[in-house]
Amino acid sequence: MKKKVITSVSNEIIRNLKVLAKEKEVVRRKLEITAKELAETAKKLATTAREREIVRRKLEITAKELAATAEKLAATAKEKEVVRRKLEITAEKLAVTAKELAATAKEKEVVRRKLEVTAAKLVVTAAKLAITAGKLAVTAEEKEDVRRKLAVTAEEKEDVRRNLLVTATKLAATAEERESVRRKLAVTAKEKEDARRKLAVIAKKLKKSHETLEHKVLERTKDLEMARVKEEAILLSIGDGLLVTDEKGIIIIMNKTAEKLFGKKREETIGKIFSDTILLENEKGFLVFLEQYQAKTILDDNTTTSVSTYYYRRKDKTKFPMSVMATPVILKGKVIGAIKIFRDITSEREIDKAKTEFVSLASHQLRTPLSTVNWYAEMLLAGDVGELNDKQKKYLDEVYKSNQRMVELVNALLDVSSLELGTFIVEPESVDISKLAQSVIDEQKPQINIKKISFSFSSEKNVGVIQADPKHLRMVVQNILSNAVKYTPD
Amino acid sequence: MENYQKGFFAPSLFCCNGFRSCSAHVYRENIIKKQKTILIIEDEKSLRSAIVDILHIKNFLSIEARNGKEGVVLALSKHPDLILLDLIMPEMDGITALKNIRKDKWGEKVPIIILTNLSGPNEQFVDDLLVHKLTHYLIKSDWKLHAIVKKIEEILEI
Repeated sequence: MKKKVITSVSNEIIRNLKVLAKEKEVVRRKLEITAKELAETAKKLATTAREREIVRRKLEITAKELAATAEKLAATAKEKEVVRRKLEITAEKLAVTAKELAATAKEKEVVRRKLEVTAAKLVVTAAKLAITAGKLAVTAEEKEDVRRKLAVTAEEKEDVRRNLLVTATKLAATAEERESVRRKLAVTAKEKEDARRKLAVIAKKLKKSHETLEHKVLERTKDLEMARVKEEAILLSIGDGLLVTDEKGIIIIMNKTAEKLFGKKREETIGKIFSDTILLENEKGFLVFLEQYQAKTILDDNTTTSVSTYYYRRKDKTKFPMSVMATPVILKGKVIGAIKIFRDITSEREIDKAKTEFVSLASHQLRTPLSTVNWYAEMLLAGDVGELNDKQKKYLDEVYKSNQRMVELVNALLDVSSLELGTFIVEPESVDISKLAQSVIDEQKPQINIKKISFSFSSEKNVGVIQADPKHLRMVVQNILSNAVKYTPD
Repeated sequence: MENYQKGFFAPSLFCCNGFRSCSAHVYRENIIKKQKTILIIEDEKSLRSAIVDILHIKNFLSIEARNGKEGVVLALSKHPDLILLDLIMPEMDGITALKNIRKDKWGEKVPIIILTNLSGPNEQFVDDLLVHKLTHYLIKSDWKLHAIVKKIEEILEI
């Protein structure tokens, strides 16, 4: 039995042990789980602890900042307090000062009022004084007047007495005169009547002659008016521009041609000063004051008529040349105005220009072939291109000389043209006329000798130097001599 | 050979077998003797040739231009020692040519002889031209060729 029990116990123990083992296992697992949970919790706690730490630090920092801010605020508050106190003190001081000023102002006001009152009183006093002075002065004057009047009255009384005496004497004399005058008047009345009758006769005669005269004057006036109208019509119809000015240069007559020429109506110009109205220019475009110029010429010689060329600028700014002939109007030896005749000379100018151009071109064209002949003949004669025989030389010499004559003829033609055009220019310089004549003689000696003319030259020792254009003077002497040689019979 | 190629000498006039040497010959001589060069601006061929011939005889080098335009170009490129200038010419007249040459720095100092047949009513304009000291004015028909050369020599102080 025991054995059985033991076995059962052991079995039981074993079973229990197994149970226990199982429980242990369960517990162990639970423990493991718990351990894991614990570990996780621990981790979480650790994490939380770190976060807390971070938060704590931040809080610390925040706390410090707050503390700093608080300190600053405290400091600011202190400063504010200080300032406030100062302001309070200042305010107090200001209040005191204001009070003092107010007090002073009041005092001043009081003083000012007192002064005003005093001044007003003074004025019143002064006025009163002035009135009193015036009254005193008036009284003094009145007294003086009364005194004077009394003196005058005494004198007057004396005068009146004397006058009365004189008047009495005069009245006696006047009575006598009146009588004599009355007698004379009776005689005069008769004479007057005679004169009146005579005058009536003369008046009748005068009336008659007056009527006759009036009639004659009317007739003559009519004749004169007709003559004047005719003359004016003649003047106004002149083909050239005509302007008449009075002694002050004021335009009094302007004809139709002048109107056209200047592009101005008679109404615009008459009564105006010539040089203000008609603007004339010279060659260079400068304004010319014809009045001044004319006054001068007229002064020089009362009858001078001057002809000059000026330019007139039209309204469209184009200008044209015009010849102006000015003649003074003379009455009883006194210049009373001027007549000016204007002529448009554009076409004449154009012709002159064409002439000038022709002359200058002709000179060029004519001289060119002459120069060619001259130069080649000269080279041949000089032997520049080989020697010539005598006959060739002689012939060529003739060609050369004739050509030279031709050149001279062209030059003479040009000189004539320039004389006509007024462009002939004389260039004077110091010339020894004796030497010049001698050189011309030397030049023509061969011709003189050929014709066997007896020729002699004599000149004063000191003829001296004269001012002349040597080129032209030489030509004169040359022509005289060559003509003398040429026309002296063999 | 530049002058020869450009025809500044008429080859037919200058040949070795006549009384003159050929142009190539002349050119060589000129280089050696340093002859003076004259520019002739003249539209009339016969007159131009006469001047060229006399200058050649008198041992000068010459350059020819037929009008003012050619003349100005040649003057400013060749720089001659002296210029003979006609006034009335086609293309460009002498006055314009003179003005153009005088505008140049070199041209300002070159002696110029105006050799023309233009005279008479233009005296004032002649005076205007002669304001420049190195400008001379000769009338062709009044001046012998030899006298012109003499004048050139005088101006160039030869």
